Amino acid sequence: MEEKKIIKVKCFRFDPHKDEKPYYDTFEVPISGKMSVQDCLVYIRENEDPSLAFFINCRLGFCKRCLIRVNGKSCFSCLTNVEEDITVEPLIKDKIIRDLWSKNS
Amino acid sequence: MGEVEKFFDRIISTDLLIVGSEGAGGHAAIEAHSHGTDVLIVTKGKIGQCGASQMAGVDFNVDGKTAKILGFDGDDRDSPERFFEDLVREGLYLNNQKMVEKYVEYAPKAMKDLMDWGMRIYGYDSVHTEEMARGITSAGTLWVAAIRKKVKELKIPMLEDTMLIDLLVSDGRIAGAVALSIKSGETVLIKCKAIILATGGWHRAYSFNTGSYDLSGDGIGVAYRAGVELISMEMVQFCPITMVWPPKDRGSIALYVLSCIDPFDKYIQLVNNKGERFMEEYDPINLEKSTKEIVSIASELEVENGRGGPHGGIFLSLKHLRTKFIDAIIRIANNRIKNELKDTRYEFITLIPELLEKCKTEDIEVGNAAHYMGGGIKVNENTETTIPGLFAAGECSGGLWGAVRVASACTEVGVQGIIAGGVAPKYVKKVEQAEINKNQVKEILDRINKPLMRDEGITPNELTKKIHEISGQKVGLIKEGILLKEAIGELEKIINNDLENLCITSTKSKELNDEWIKAIELRNILTCLYLSAKSSLIREESRGEFYRRDYTNTDHDNWLKTIVMKQKNGELDIKFEKPVVTKISLPKGKLTYQEAIGVATASLKRE
Repeated sequence: MEEKKIIKVKCFRFDPHKDEKPYYDTFEVPISGKMSVQDCLVYIRENEDPSLAFFINCRLGFCKRCLIRVNGKSCFSCLTNVEEDITVEPLIKDKIIRDLWSKNS
Repeated sequence: MGEVEKFFDRIISTDLLIVGSEGAGGHAAIEAHSHGTDVLIVTKGKIGQCGASQMAGVDFNVDGKTAKILGFDGDDRDSPERFFEDLVREGLYLNNQKMVEKYVEYAPKAMKDLMDWGMRIYGYDSVHTEEMARGITSAGTLWVAAIRKKVKELKIPMLEDTMLIDLLVSDGRIAGAVALSIKSGETVLIKCKAIILATGGWHRAYSFNTGSYDLSGDGIGVAYRAGVELISMEMVQFCPITMVWPPKDRGSIALYVLSCIDPFDKYIQLVNNKGERFMEEYDPINLEKSTKEIVSIASELEVENGRGGPHGGIFLSLKHLRTKFIDAIIRIANNRIKNELKDTRYEFITLIPELLEKCKTEDIEVGNAAHYMGGGIKVNENTETTIPGLFAAGECSGGLWGAVRVASACTEVGVQGIIAGGVAPKYVKKVEQAEINKNQVKEILDRINKPLMRDEGITPNELTKKIHEISGQKVGLIKEGILLKEAIGELEKIINNDLENLCITSTKSKELNDEWIKAIELRNILTCLYLSAKSSLIREESRGEFYRRDYTNTDHDNWLKTIVMKQKNGELDIKFEKPVVTKISLPKGKLTYQEAIGVATASLKRE
């Protein structure tokens, strides 16, 4: 079997209706097999915090809508492999609807 | 403001509402617009970036004779008549033949539209059939980009990131629809005279599927609640050789596509966890090139008997090839995909070479994923449903394919989009806007808000897990009465209890609340899965994509009939209908499953 490894995903959080300013939540995600940033976010939403807002659709690089910032670099979340701890932020930090999804997404 | 309007955040009036913006919905909108009709598109994502079409391989079908007129090489031996016959034969005679006639007739127009809108074409090829070249190949992403460009050019109004919640029906005909903005959580009342549903399949009922995240059977769910007839819900196509592992690639059919293309098809072998090339046992003549159905069932039987991989699949192997030979295959693939076709899709330019490289040292775990929904909203050849003013096009509709879809679904959705986009404008001209029923609106809005108001109950994630366990174990590829009965009982419990007890506690925000959207989708997913299980239990035979372990014959004498379902006074009403016949009369007799699909050499028994 594949070896399992726990990584930390530090996530940008912001609900403009509730929060005065953005903050970060850190989640532990078990990595088993090659996983994408999006797989980690799905794991968090299904197991840790269902309120996390992010974009998901085709999961395989077709829709090109899941642009996100990982460790400061812009990328598609479904196409980006995760091996170590990461920091996940929206592409643009203004006009946030919630968390990782801005009005321009 | 009227009594009904005050319940909504937003009110829009249009003549024709089209739900869905891609292969079927987008094409329908462009066609309806050309008839001067006032059209509004409501789509769950962004046009060109949602639904199933973008992910398609992609190929379109036109008979070889007409293809020549369109400027392709074509095939003189072919004709529209022959194409029609192939479709009915492949569908094992359960097709609505009037719909098949329209498919063949409109296929060239659907193709020509896309060419006129600037869709780049890769080539003309023998796709789906060994004998006849009928396939015009391109890429799903190029297809939806062409539609998007045209819709934008025509300035067709659109509500994006907006989900259909329910249909509004007054005096037995369409009066409008209720929708929800996924981004803002605003409720939208759409007053209209007619609706075309183009919402695609219900892949999300299965944990392992090849579709996009938005395919939750919304169109089928809302139609059923409105009392519309559904047909052939038991017909679910599973795609073999779909990536099972690792998580990042799960659901990709890239290797399946590769396994169908010359010369790659010659080299791909499927093996079990003992390294045995198991197709030798099931179909020693055709091996991996047997039909999709036989390969799927054989893979499933291997897994069932403990010969599968750690994640529930079997393995694609190139271990019989030397490393240098695999390098050559990678070079051929790269040359064709990147240089000749100039494809830019991740699956083709990155994933396939990566996986082939990996095959030098290990096997790749692959399996059967829910891929295409053959049944759906019952329509006639004019895409009319059983409710006046309601039309359905594409995968959410049913009746065209019968028991197997071999030919192109991309052509289906374009054809039906054109037909719906032509027929609905005529209907719109004949009728006045119907009055909207206030009680119906109140009931719908109360229902969707309830999970947000509850503080206790079952969460959408918990319920999804329960449903996926049932679909994966009991309503999968190989069906069996005893398991279907269990599934039906469990799903009834879920529908009566859990579904009415959903709660959203992580955030009560209505903006981008994934849990809330899931809660609404789950009602549609459950409707589809439940009706599919019911329909599967009723059909006591095996036919094409439908395989019952306890009834393995294809029984023309008793089962050349479709199962039609609708909701009547809150109860499920089931009836049988003979397939619509125009030219090919229905055969008689009982065949083995294998004989019926033309691979009499295959045996589905091992152990």
